[in-house]
Amino acid sequence: MSQGISLQPSRQLRRRYRAERRFKAYCVGALLLSIAFLVLFFSDMVRQGHSAFIQTEIQAEVTYNEDTVKFTNESVDESIAPLVSRAFFRSIPRRVDADPSLMGTTETLWLTATADVDQYRKKYSDRLEPEMQSTLERLESEGKVSYGFNKGLFTSGDSKIPSNAGLWSAFVGTFYVMLVVLAVSFPIGVATAIYLEEFAPDNRFTQGVEININNLAAVPSILFGLLGLAIFINFFGVPRSSALAGGLTLSLMTLPVIIISTRAALRAVPQNIRQGAQAVGASRWQAIRDHVLPLSLPGILTGTIIGVAQAMGETAPLLLIGMIAYIPDAPTSMTEAATVLPAQIFTWAGMPERAYVSLTAAGILVLLSLLITLNATAVILRNRFERRW
Amino acid sequence: MRTRDLTGDSTQVVRVPTMERPRVNQSTKMSVSDLAVWYGEKQALHGVSLDVYENEVTALIGPSGCGKSTFLRCLNRMNDLVPGVRIEGAVVFEDQNIYASEVDVVELRSHIGMVFQKPNPFPKSIYENIAYAPKILGQVRKRTDMDDLVERSLKRAGLWEEVKDRLDAPGLSLSGGQQQRLCIARAIAVSPSVLLMDEPCSALDPVATATVEQLIDELKENYTIVIVTHNLQQAARVAGYTAFFHLGNIVEFSDTDSLFTHPREKKTEDYITGRYG
Ligand SMILES: Nc1ncnc2c1ncn2[C@@H]1O[C@H](COP(=O)(O)OP(=O)(O)OP(=O)(O)O)[C@@H](O)[C@H]1O
Ligand SMILES: [Mg+2]
Repeated sequence: MSQGISLQPSRQLRRRYRAERRFKAYCVGALLLSIAFLVLFFSDMVRQGHSAFIQTEIQAEVTYNEDTVKFTNESVDESIAPLVSRAFFRSIPRRVDADPSLMGTTETLWLTATADVDQYRKKYSDRLEPEMQSTLERLESEGKVSYGFNKGLFTSGDSKIPSNAGLWSAFVGTFYVMLVVLAVSFPIGVATAIYLEEFAPDNRFTQGVEININNLAAVPSILFGLLGLAIFINFFGVPRSSALAGGLTLSLMTLPVIIISTRAALRAVPQNIRQGAQAVGASRWQAIRDHVLPLSLPGILTGTIIGVAQAMGETAPLLLIGMIAYIPDAPTSMTEAATVLPAQIFTWAGMPERAYVSLTAAGILVLLSLLITLNATAVILRNRFERRW
Repeated sequence: MRTRDLTGDSTQVVRVPTMERPRVNQSTKMSVSDLAVWYGEKQALHGVSLDVYENEVTALIGPSGCGKSTFLRCLNRMNDLVPGVRIEGAVVFEDQNIYASEVDVVELRSHIGMVFQKPNPFPKSIYENIAYAPKILGQVRKRTDMDDLVERSLKRAGLWEEVKDRLDAPGLSLSGGQQQRLCIARAIAVSPSVLLMDEPCSALDPVATATVEQLIDELKENYTIVIVTHNLQQAARVAGYTAFFHLGNIVEFSDTDSLFTHPREKKTEDYITGRYG
């Protein structure tokens, strides 16, 4: 018989459901808001940056002879010459040197247009002399103007001429810096983590070290720049602006990240693996080397990649050690002046010319794709290889 | 008796006072005296003494938390790994106190093997699980010798027929009972003289348990075995001697038959008849 138990929701239960729905709505709202910001940011970057990936090119006859090697802008038709980027004319003597058989010949080439023409065509500005405007229209009607892929963005270094500026020297600088970061922070970080996690006695001293390492990860990055300046450059005399100085400074930032993630990876290996190994007569180190490390390697690598990616996007500490500079030529050694991707973006962002705006956006897109690739690798690595017990 | 040297050169002999022990005419493999263990402030063992007889199975029984595992782990110094542990007393093995300062624990553990409650094969192949210890201890160098050893160990653990076609498969791909026998095979591959087992069957079903019990019975021909178990029938089935632990003390130790049929102590009787609260 019914004892007066109703299975309909009571008023109190309905109130709880309402609260639940409200809470869910807040969460969804927050999620949508952050997605909207991301989409906005990306579409704005693509809108501003896409034009830096393409470049106006003009088809012209290029004549090589004694005169045009000296007065290079005479190598093309004089009406077209003002539309062609100066960088091309500068390259003529080099081209002839490289291939003397060009002398006395004429060839048809697609030439990079000047920044003004490029900007005008991309409708970023209307500042173009009337004669040039009409020449451009004539060439367009003849089908001698088109967009080409701006290879220069990836193959040339920085330049004061925006249409020639590229990311190459920043790529090389980033590569060197990351090499230093890896070579320094990976072995030191992993060794420190192994010591703290597996060997260190649990006393005041190691607890202090632990707390400090955790705090290091939260120190504002500009302070690492100060530290790098004081220690590496002023004390040890590492050349200013060099990849070595940058790498060492960024290593200070990456170290705590690697230490913390390595410790977490080691801790995730169950204790009974260590015990099993030691019970058959393995020493502590053998148990770690043969069983614990192989199991925690995916976690360690994931942490390392994330740490390196973080360092790769870092600009503030590099400000202080002079890595934000005009570097047209890619460095060829660790001690030469170098710049890195975010620093290059920072430099471009400060340039007055309109063309640098799209270069800046393009640089951001390139850096972001690199970082997303790195982080995706880390995630894949973790999902693929990490075991759960 | 073959004497193993745990230190390399020491010939020091430790004589320890012995407690009243069951009247048997068997040689003692390990002799524990006045073993006391503290975890931080908490005392887990209150000075217990016990003799472990050669080529016999000694069972340790008692209610949960009474210190059986603690006692067992003291026999191969696995307890040293617990942070904040303090151990007093002596455990004499091959005429040496294993807690003497010159004893090397890594060397010791290659003579006293251990099988854990939860099967813990290395996350490597079946073959490597067995070959690992003999390799790092430098006992076997040639590949063919190693193959022989792996086969022999797996056969003795009664696992060979089941895995001989897939020695490269990961040890973790085996069933729970097979994993436990793999762990036993791994422990005997370095030819220890004593095998310590902490509730080796608690994670196994009755069939796998029966297999392991039969295995224990066969192994005692060559090894001295100390086994912790919560299963009194198991103790009765496999052990020649049984010790009843209670609150960090050994209440009673005698041959299994007498302990189960004529317990001397009231507490023992209560426990084995299930009247223990
Ligand atoms: N690592 C440790 N740290 C602190 N205390 C411990 C530790 N290991 C065991 N103890 C304590 O020591 C006492 C004995 O534990 P032990 O594991 O030896 O009991 P046991 O007889 O094996 O119990 P069970 O049958 O439940 O396995 C218990 O009170 C336990 O709480
Ligand atoms: Mg136990």
